[in-house]
Amino acid sequence: MPWISRATVERVKQEFKDDLKVSSGDHAVSLEVPKSRLKDLLKHLRDRERFVHFVDMTCIDFPEDPRRFQGVYILYNPDENERVIVKTWAEDCRLPTVTDLWPGAKWAEREAYDMFGVEFEGHENLRRMFMWEGYEHFPLRKDFPLEGIPEQELPSLTEVLHGRTDPPSHDYEVLHTKVPTLEDLERTEKARLKKRTQLVLNWGPLHPGTHGTIWFLFDLEGEFVSQCDIILGQLHRGMEKIAENVYYFQFLPYTDRMDYISAICNELSYVTAVEKLLKIEVPEKARYIRTMFAELQRINSHLLWLGTGALDLGALTVFLYAFREREKIMDIIEGNAGYRLTSCFLRIGGVHYDLAEGTLDVVKAFIKDFPNKLKEYHMLLTRNRIWLRRTKDVGVITREDVHAYGLSGPVARGSGVPYNLRKLEPYAAYDEVEFDIPVGEVGDVYDRYLVRMEEMRESIRIIEQCVKKLEKLPKDAPYLNKDHPAVMPPKEDVFMSLEDMVQTFRIVVHGENAPPGDVYSSAENPRGELGFYIYSKGGGKPYRLRIRSGALYNLSIFPKLIEGRTIADAIALLGSLDPVVGETDR
Amino acid sequence: MSELGIALLITLVKIGVLVGLALGVGAYLTWVERKLAGHIQARLGPNVVGPFGLLQPLADGIKLLTKESIIPRGADVPVYYLAVVLALAPAILLFAVIPFGPGFELFGREIKPIIADVNIGLLLIFAMGSLLVYGTIFSGWASNSKYAFIGSLRKAAVIIAYEVVLGFAVLGVVLLAGTLSTVGIVEAQIERGVWFVFYQPVAFILYLFCMLAESGRVPFDIQEAEAELVTGYHVEYGGMRFGVFPLAEWYLNTVALSAIAVVLFFGGWSGPNILGPFSPYFWFLAKTFGLVFFVLWLHWTLPRFQARDITEIAWKIMLPLALVNLVVTAVVLYVLGGE
Repeated sequence: MPWISRATVERVKQEFKDDLKVSSGDHAVSLEVPKSRLKDLLKHLRDRERFVHFVDMTCIDFPEDPRRFQGVYILYNPDENERVIVKTWAEDCRLPTVTDLWPGAKWAEREAYDMFGVEFEGHENLRRMFMWEGYEHFPLRKDFPLEGIPEQELPSLTEVLHGRTDPPSHDYEVLHTKVPTLEDLERTEKARLKKRTQLVLNWGPLHPGTHGTIWFLFDLEGEFVSQCDIILGQLHRGMEKIAENVYYFQFLPYTDRMDYISAICNELSYVTAVEKLLKIEVPEKARYIRTMFAELQRINSHLLWLGTGALDLGALTVFLYAFREREKIMDIIEGNAGYRLTSCFLRIGGVHYDLAEGTLDVVKAFIKDFPNKLKEYHMLLTRNRIWLRRTKDVGVITREDVHAYGLSGPVARGSGVPYNLRKLEPYAAYDEVEFDIPVGEVGDVYDRYLVRMEEMRESIRIIEQCVKKLEKLPKDAPYLNKDHPAVMPPKEDVFMSLEDMVQTFRIVVHGENAPPGDVYSSAENPRGELGFYIYSKGGGKPYRLRIRSGALYNLSIFPKLIEGRTIADAIALLGSLDPVVGETDR
Repeated sequence: MSELGIALLITLVKIGVLVGLALGVGAYLTWVERKLAGHIQARLGPNVVGPFGLLQPLADGIKLLTKESIIPRGADVPVYYLAVVLALAPAILLFAVIPFGPGFELFGREIKPIIADVNIGLLLIFAMGSLLVYGTIFSGWASNSKYAFIGSLRKAAVIIAYEVVLGFAVLGVVLLAGTLSTVGIVEAQIERGVWFVFYQPVAFILYLFCMLAESGRVPFDIQEAEAELVTGYHVEYGGMRFGVFPLAEWYLNTVALSAIAVVLFFGGWSGPNILGPFSPYFWFLAKTFGLVFFVLWLHWTLPRFQARDITEIAWKIMLPLALVNLVVTAVVLYVLGGE
């Protein structure tokens, strides 16, 4: 995706004169302003230069700098298809909030507050995002150790309930970092939602309707939701912290475990970002293999969405029909990557294995058969009166909200915003294949349903083209760019040739040695834009790696949409937003 | 033995046979449903316990019976247990007024294959149907759980709405037959040689909806709604106490209401004589299970309505329809001279 154009920068510069510092790297253009001018600049960019789409907000910790925290805002201009990064230094751990400009920033700012302790002046509800109320540390600060701060282990729930402490069921020799107790969670719940009406209904943390461990609080007036809050963090594993402490290639398997339903898409997004940073060319064959598998994974993910979404609305059979097809894709992935779910198939610079024998035949059989199955799903649901009644005009998202909340993926496209990074910022081989972007009109649950159903059809088209291309390519074409010093050679070469072995050893021991600079690169995941903002100071580990999760931003509009609707709508709406907790919590 | 004693004995035997059959059929319907669902969903269904998985209901029963009893803290214990009884009893009592076949002579006595051949059979059915809701309400109330409570309230709203519709829908048949007795209704159909479903198609469709709503089947299973309410009103029950609720609601109730539909609309036991004396029973059961099959089929195909829609449909669409149907039937009957 192109970054902000020189002309625009000049225009902005005229407005802000010396306050504005522009630095343009290879993969990002960033504007830096002092904190006092930040709101003016953001407002100017939004209103005058049409950078209306909020992409992400995060912080970076520089302990050696007296100002310490730097705020990073990423914005997007849908008219010109341009991005820009705005940076500013926080003073006394404080930054102004931008929630009045983009409501979508509210969770990002809460996360920054939670992880760095940066306070946002004017934020309406500045509470911890992932950690519980009363937790006193800020995990993403550089002085917070990776293994956590050891504290005394807390008694287990059984011990609390039965008053049994002897013998203790925990080994006090092994000290752990603090975990939330029941009291902590109760305090968190009370802090998040002030009861206004009849009944507070807890949905979660473990609830079959939430597709993972999300904790919804509904304040109900009869069956109508008068307010709703979402408590995230049950699956928070501190991925960003981990990323700062491992080499680039070591972080790859972690990306599988974010949106575990579309592992290959996550990997693709991550390796694309790293390859941009390290300037690695990817061989043609690898690009096509990546595209093909990413699209297979997209169908796989959409099928899971379809199955569980229909299951939530009571259509029990669609679930198993979807899983029948999913199984075939799983088999294809397993046959090539060796694993089914968290496949870790891609590598920086290519893919792990060459295509397995017969893969293309299986894929061809699958894409020949799949359109019929799609018809079957349509037959079961699309014209079904009950389905229409449950989904039509439920949770309508306007185009303005799409930009203001930073929505992406099928959720954005369901509202008629053709925001598809496969077209806007082509990665892998997406610029060499033909496909259309289905968009909705109204932006309700039904439109998002149709968009996803059509996307599966488009994915089939892409796969078809990839198969054709891959069949033409010679069998011994390289699938990994092992000439680049930061790319690990294939395993069979490592055992046969000395140079490859040395290269592998060097990467494993010292890391990839990335150049300093920052890069933001994102990919179109089944659940929206999955972006990686990498700030590198050189060396084998990223200084800061921010994961921009599409699912998190898509979920952030949920409380607004559900107000005044019933909890039966909540389930339909949640299904259409389709969050995966592994990605929202990271 | 006195006349009364013999009559009592015969009734007791009938009750014994019926309760045994009902519970057995209810249990085996779980197997049927799972097998059917399996085939609808392109999988096998139970096939491990016994041939074709035929012993699966027994295994389930043993598992449910041997489970530890867990009662939630703060539960209203007497009501908690009462709910189980109140869920099961009306569902079984519904069978009391179902005629399975014509009367026959045994040892010089006329025996009717119906437990209570009362002249207000249909009223009893409505009464039992309304009583069913107490099991749900009590379980929702006594469990001390919000999910259960919301589920039971939903069910109560549905039952209230659909009992009214059901009453008006069935009144058309009552007008045609001129009696509230279930045996009388079947005999009226046999006499005329035509099933009432042809005279009262609207009433039948309305009845079908009510049947689905009362037995909590898809698309009206809002009180369970796995996704929103986990499983609704019986979420806090465990072991056989849990097992009783689906047994009563999903199976016994479905079978009983299907049987009543057969009585009202499909001529009860009437049908060509193909199996000699067993022919009426065969026809009755075949029709009943045909309807049960239809309900199961719907269950595994359709999505679910939401609570608001269900009551809305009942009050705004189905009740007026039922009223119009009733008035038209009455007028036509009057014009034709009460044939």
